[in-house]
Amino acid sequence: MTAAGIIQLDHVEFRYPNSSHPVLHDVTLAIPEGELCLVIGPTGSGKSTLLQLVNGLAPHFTGGQLTGTVTVDGRDTRLHPPRDLADLVGAVGQDPVAGFVTGRVDDELAYGMEQLGLPDSVMRTRIEEVVDLIGLEAVRHRPLSELSAGEQQRVAIASVLTSHPRILVLDEPTSALDPTGAEEVLAAILRLVHDLGITVLMAEQRLERVIQYADSMVRVGDDGAAHSGSPAAILEGSPLAPPIVELSRLAAWESQPRSIRDARRLAGPLRDRLRESLSLQSAGPTSGADGSVALRTEGLRVRYGAVHALAGVDITLRAGELAAVMGRNGSGKSSLLWALQGSGVRSGGTVLVYDTTLDSGAQVSTRPGRRQAGVDPRTLAPDEAIRRIALVPQNPSDLLYLDSVLAECRAADRAAGAAEGTAATLLDRLAPGLPESRHPRDLSEGERLALVLAVQLAGQPAILLLDEPTRGLDYDAKRRLGEVLKELAAIGTAVLLSSHDVEFVARTADRVLVLARGELLTDGPAQEVLTASPSFAPQVAKILRPLPLLTVDAVRAALVEGK
Amino acid sequence: MVDRLVPRGTVHPMAWWGWAFGIAIATTKSPGAVSTGLLIAAVVIVVAVCHGDSPFARAFPAYLALGAMIVLIRVVFHILVGIKGGSGFVVSLPRIPLPDWTGGIELLGPVSVSGVAAAATAGLALAALLLCFGAAIALTDPQRTLRSLPASLHLLGTATVIAMTLAPQLVESWQRVRRAQALRGQRVRRLHAASATTSPVLQDALERSLKIAASMDSRGYARMRAGGSALVPVLTITALVGAALGTYALMDGASPRWLSIPLLAGGAVAAVLGSMMASRRIHATRYRPDPWGLRETLITGSGMAVAALALFGPTGGSQGAAGWSAVFLLCAVVAAAPIPIVVAP
Amino acid sequence: MRDSGPAVPLGAHTTLALVLATGVGILAFTWPLLVGRGSLLDHNASAPVLLGVVLLGVLSVVLIALGEGGIDAKAIAMLGLLASVGAVLRPLSAGSAGIELVFLFIVLGGRVFGAGFGFALGSITLFASALLTGGLGPWLPFQMLAASWIGMGAGLLPRRMRGRLELAVLAGYAAVCGFLYGQAMNLSFWPFTLGPGTALSFYPGAPLGENLQRFAVFSITTSLGWDLMRAGVLAVGVVILGRRTLDALRRTARLAAFSPAPGAGGNRDDGARVRDDTRS
Repeated sequence: MTAAGIIQLDHVEFRYPNSSHPVLHDVTLAIPEGELCLVIGPTGSGKSTLLQLVNGLAPHFTGGQLTGTVTVDGRDTRLHPPRDLADLVGAVGQDPVAGFVTGRVDDELAYGMEQLGLPDSVMRTRIEEVVDLIGLEAVRHRPLSELSAGEQQRVAIASVLTSHPRILVLDEPTSALDPTGAEEVLAAILRLVHDLGITVLMAEQRLERVIQYADSMVRVGDDGAAHSGSPAAILEGSPLAPPIVELSRLAAWESQPRSIRDARRLAGPLRDRLRESLSLQSAGPTSGADGSVALRTEGLRVRYGAVHALAGVDITLRAGELAAVMGRNGSGKSSLLWALQGSGVRSGGTVLVYDTTLDSGAQVSTRPGRRQAGVDPRTLAPDEAIRRIALVPQNPSDLLYLDSVLAECRAADRAAGAAEGTAATLLDRLAPGLPESRHPRDLSEGERLALVLAVQLAGQPAILLLDEPTRGLDYDAKRRLGEVLKELAAIGTAVLLSSHDVEFVARTADRVLVLARGELLTDGPAQEVLTASPSFAPQVAKILRPLPLLTVDAVRAALVEGK
Repeated sequence: MVDRLVPRGTVHPMAWWGWAFGIAIATTKSPGAVSTGLLIAAVVIVVAVCHGDSPFARAFPAYLALGAMIVLIRVVFHILVGIKGGSGFVVSLPRIPLPDWTGGIELLGPVSVSGVAAAATAGLALAALLLCFGAAIALTDPQRTLRSLPASLHLLGTATVIAMTLAPQLVESWQRVRRAQALRGQRVRRLHAASATTSPVLQDALERSLKIAASMDSRGYARMRAGGSALVPVLTITALVGAALGTYALMDGASPRWLSIPLLAGGAVAAVLGSMMASRRIHATRYRPDPWGLRETLITGSGMAVAALALFGPTGGSQGAAGWSAVFLLCAVVAAAPIPIVVAP
Repeated sequence: MRDSGPAVPLGAHTTLALVLATGVGILAFTWPLLVGRGSLLDHNASAPVLLGVVLLGVLSVVLIALGEGGIDAKAIAMLGLLASVGAVLRPLSAGSAGIELVFLFIVLGGRVFGAGFGFALGSITLFASALLTGGLGPWLPFQMLAASWIGMGAGLLPRRMRGRLELAVLAGYAAVCGFLYGQAMNLSFWPFTLGPGTALSFYPGAPLGENLQRFAVFSITTSLGWDLMRAGVLAVGVVILGRRTLDALRRTARLAAFSPAPGAGGNRDDGARVRDDTRS
């Protein structure tokens, strides 16, 4: 069944050292030249391994056992370590910043060519070409640490392009980027495929952005099997599907649209039906906006030296509310959350945390006779703070320092003064079936987030803040996270998270705040804010504009009610 | 960090090191304080005019301070334990004999001008030596010098480049982890906190180093040509044997003086040859290498000329603390020669 | 948990190179005690500079030899990482040129990854930290060699120890090394600091006992305190940070699966054969 392709896998089975079961099992596929091929699959499946096989990193770099043959443009990767394939395959890993070898953009662009032994004149020409192609003229002589995330990703791609590879292997290039950054990177990649005829093999979690451009897809399953085919065929039976595909299933459209434009063309009848059913319903926000105030900040200002991260922000957070802060990278979202928690820099303004009771009966207040007065979280001792306001930072593994999951849970119980086993029970609900003895570093992203959530929630705080929790999570993990957050909101916790994952926010949050350059631009119900903004609108909203529907579930509910 | 184009007028780092080396040799032959002072002045002026933009250029005053400290240390030690005697008594400090097990040393004692001056002169010569190093560092950007290292030293060069890339990331990672650990709500003792912070930082850094290695490998690091590597071990061992024997000959008073130099030189030649052969095996080239042109030759030449004048020039003029000689005046002028070379368009 | 295979493999000729380098190093460090009257070095107080140049050459040759042996990119990245840790810690150490904490990771790294790695790590750490903190000078080759010895020695300690015994032995080793380092640097730069005209100066060609006595007095009065403090800080550092660091390093060593790069040839035991395209 193997047609000729520039990348060919023949009954490939791959097993990591010290591992009992293979990560890829009997994989046979061929990827033709000049295509953009998307690799999808749940976290922990062999997506990254598949990419590493093409590049030669597996098995030469990672160790492990390879059975079967991987042929890249006629070269057998068994005989060719990655350095021999460097002129043919360019690979960018999941964390491009971690792959930077030098400190400046032009040095980084030249690095690959230096290793290939190209003469200086050729290097200079190619650097100019790549700078034009990817659009790096503005940042060319800057140190790499000063670039934005999108620029760093583009520099990483450019630096492997200089060796003129025919195949480009990218591991999740847009998952950490805000929508604008992701658009820039995708545009660059498309230019490579369409103008230069480079074969691009890309693993991606956030399918909604990329799906319209993919020529073919490969799905890797939990069992290690991989199937390739056209996007329509692969998505048909797949549980991981972007909203546009789910919508088309729900509406039973004849052809599966992949871009917003195609979907809008097909969505006419659906829109009419929904308009009717919506007009019959009574509009009304379903948020917990009637809960008591849990946190209030006025005039919050955060300044790092000469940089004003936050310039006077007023927010009121109520118990039972699930709010999301959105904005470009660098708009001040992280600074906001840290300042609210109390341990971050605060240069001005007030933050007050109020006592609220959680539905579970856990009484949070410890000060008799001062029930309505707020407390500045900066003045709280750490063990008191953890019982009132908890923050899950951007990089959850920063919090973990012990050797096993069990040890972390115990430490969390001790720190929060909670009964023994609280954190462990929470963890079981968040990520069932996690072995206690596992080292936290060996956990997947989603499991680590679950662990940190359990640790921070052991004190049953009334306020939970999360900084970019969806980074690195697959659809399944995001779904579970959304459910957990909704449960927490239901018992009265005030939840505030920052994210630029529009779909997640659309599904989970009742209220959306938009920050730009340290100022609060919008603050309102999710439905209004997300449908009004062009850059933060979820796919369903874009397809069904001007109807105020954000998710496929909302569409389903509207259709049901309309009957 | 200054954000500017790599200047096209950069001088090859080795040229400055050659210049500094020549002047360093000259300082060891200086007849007295004034001559040394002249050389120091020349060096300082060259640095002031020609220095680069790196943080190391800003650290040059630290070398001046270090030099001053050396002079001071020498003087202090002379006053404390120096062997006294000489003309021009300044102050007569009492002698303090130390216990017998120290071997009959007496502290302090009458301090003389000539004694102090001799100590200061010697200290000044050493300070000048150090300043030559400092000057070479201030004039070259060590990061660019790293790029000029031969490919045979890729072990040192690459690892150092990685170290310099990772160092600021380590600091930032440590700050981030410390902030995050505070979120856990534990009142941790200082020591426990240090240990608790190390683990994530180190784990993160180790994972990061593996990712850097993957990136390096994917881009073709250490591609080698086939063949010709049997000679390198032989050359390296020869070089080391030469160094060992040469050092021994240097130190041994009994063996003839002229034996050590050829041994060391032979070892050096073997080392250079071995390095060249090892470099040739590695496939990598350099982007925008610093060219070696007339400017570089002239700069190094001036340094070598200074050394030659000092070593082989006529000795004359006054000796002693205030000693100077016409030769050294000439040396100082030649040492300042790079200024017009570099400044000229 | 077995320690991984050598990150920096030591063959016959690299071992010989290390032995020779050690020999030159011993000569260079103890030169005031060994130098004879009438040699080139006797009245030249800048002899350490000359010896420093020789040492620099020796170190370069050894590093070339080690690099020739085919080193994995992972080993180099690990070297760079541990060197950066040492470099970052250097400004934090008080005391003579701030060296204490730097040695900590050299000892731990050499222990986990072996003697060859430890040697390279010592040199690279001191070199990188000198570049990063601007402490370049004629003493650098001496520092690099001393650090390399410390790393190599840590790799030569008996491999089977684990647990508390291991920590205790490493703490003791680090303390002893820290102390001896100070003494060794004093010895080689003794004439540099004092000059010829004092009662504590060295006399070229004098009997060993005499010179040694003078040196002892000089060393005890000037730097005994610093050296003891350095030894203490290192021992405490190993005790506090050692367990976690060793565990983290060992875990990474396990994940890293160091393998010989081309140039060393050899087959892998994971079923993938690498074509040996260098030597025939």
